[in-house]
Amino acid sequence: MPGAGRARPRLIYKEALVHLLVQSIGFGVAAGAVLALGAVGFTLQFGISNVLNISYGSLMSVGAFLGLFMLGLGLNIWLVMVIGGLAVGACSVVLNRGLITPLVRKGMAPFGLVIVTVSAGIVLEYVIVAVAGPATQTYGNRSGATLNFLGWTLTTAQVVIFAITVVLMLGLHLLLTRTQLGRAMRATSANRTLARSCGIATSRISDIAWFMSGTFCGMAGIALAITIESFDFTLGSIFLIPMIAAAVLGGVGQPYGAMIGGMVVGIVSSVSSAYWDPAYQSVVAFGIIIVMLLVRPRGLFGSATATRKLLA
Amino acid sequence: MSSAETPALEVRNLVAGYGDYPVVDGVSLTVPHGQVVAVAGPNGAGKSTLLKAMLGLVRILSGSVLLEGEDVTGAPLERLARLGVGYVPQLDDVFDSLKVIENLEMGGYLCDRAERQRRIEQVLEIFPVLRGKLHRYAETLSGGERKMTAIARVLMLDPKVLVLDEPTASLSPEMSRVVLEEQVRPLSRLGKSVLLVEQKAVAALEVADWACLLVRGKVEVSAPAAEVLADPNMREIFLGRAPAAAAEVAGPE
Repeated sequence: MPGAGRARPRLIYKEALVHLLVQSIGFGVAAGAVLALGAVGFTLQFGISNVLNISYGSLMSVGAFLGLFMLGLGLNIWLVMVIGGLAVGACSVVLNRGLITPLVRKGMAPFGLVIVTVSAGIVLEYVIVAVAGPATQTYGNRSGATLNFLGWTLTTAQVVIFAITVVLMLGLHLLLTRTQLGRAMRATSANRTLARSCGIATSRISDIAWFMSGTFCGMAGIALAITIESFDFTLGSIFLIPMIAAAVLGGVGQPYGAMIGGMVVGIVSSVSSAYWDPAYQSVVAFGIIIVMLLVRPRGLFGSATATRKLLA
Repeated sequence: MSSAETPALEVRNLVAGYGDYPVVDGVSLTVPHGQVVAVAGPNGAGKSTLLKAMLGLVRILSGSVLLEGEDVTGAPLERLARLGVGYVPQLDDVFDSLKVIENLEMGGYLCDRAERQRRIEQVLEIFPVLRGKLHRYAETLSGGERKMTAIARVLMLDPKVLVLDEPTASLSPEMSRVVLEEQVRPLSRLGKSVLLVEQKAVAALEVADWACLLVRGKVEVSAPAAEVLADPNMREIFLGRAPAAAAEVAGPE
């Protein structure tokens, strides 16, 4: 039959498209896990200390290079992820104590602080170059066995990273809702002066937020380095845009929003790069930021208060 | 307990401001135990700056702040909270994004769980209206309910001294009277010492024991509130001169 001959290739084409969609969503979930991890750290620190930390991307690169160094010592990759995360957490506290807090005390405006963090980020990147050189680096192939489920083909590494992210997010949720420290963090984020008048030492809470933020940042940097073939010192600053997109999408300063935002940005950019030129991934991320700010500046989960903070 | 002569709160020759420019210029005042002291004055007179300096939020250039005789000059707000100073800011006086009950829990942050529950019950006995609104988000409350939540929140730590920054600032004249009569006045009956900053001078003096008039960063009048209210000349100073002075010194505080 002449009709069947024409219909068959079209059917195959359609199946291929569906398969591509399913597979790219799978990749998107895997990429989204790393994004969510990074975005939650970014937004947590912003929500509590009210400082937009642009050096976050560079701290992520620091994490990736610390990971490279430790892998060279023969340590297990997942142990490296934990130690590297904690080390970047410590760097983040030093950045807060040594640079940000003194400037805030002197009364520097939020805009000035943004410039300071941009500069700190550039300095950090060139510290990496000075120590490790500008060359492209790789963790080697750390993907492990390939797993098939739900029509997705994912590597063991991607699944482990997803699981680590889920565990960390659950842990963060329990911390914020069930513990005294979590309550103090929420109070500090909601209204700093009022939190202090409740007897909460908000500068200590800030330190803890910078530490947790840096830890998430470092772990995300190492997770990213595991999942991509190669990287250099610009790894984190390139990744900063989709992370900010995820944070804005979820509502800046809202950890739960950043979790969902990370997933959405991960899936959207993965699907878009499956059907469209992957080079446009950043365009998609920027597009999400701009559309969100136009349509609903407070983000999916943000409160008006958080938006005021962003705009203040 | 402190002796009868030691006031709950005392400020001596306080000079404070932003940069090197003193907005508060040598202010002394005393809040005795269980009394309400009202600080009135026009916009820009330095009322808020005086409070913020006492609370460690604005830099003190010279002078001292004593809490029950103990020097707490420049102490950070969280330490003052632990020492028994309850501060209700003029704006942003509640945690907007939290429910009323969560605001109270946050107010009792320093207490353990059992103590916090006990305090919530006590505070709700003082403000029974809040009982029906415990699960409302603070941002949905009316002006009066909001101020009630704010005051209830600081009472959670059972403070010795309450510092209220223009509690009636965003309220209608009728509501202002209600807040001052029904929320501020009873505080002294609970044995609290209250420092009340108000622009609505007469309404504030009606619930106060002592009155201070602050003009251009200096104490112009300091007298018993009843005396000021009874003396037409003094009333004139508090009421009549205030608007003129406001026009003269208006500007960012």
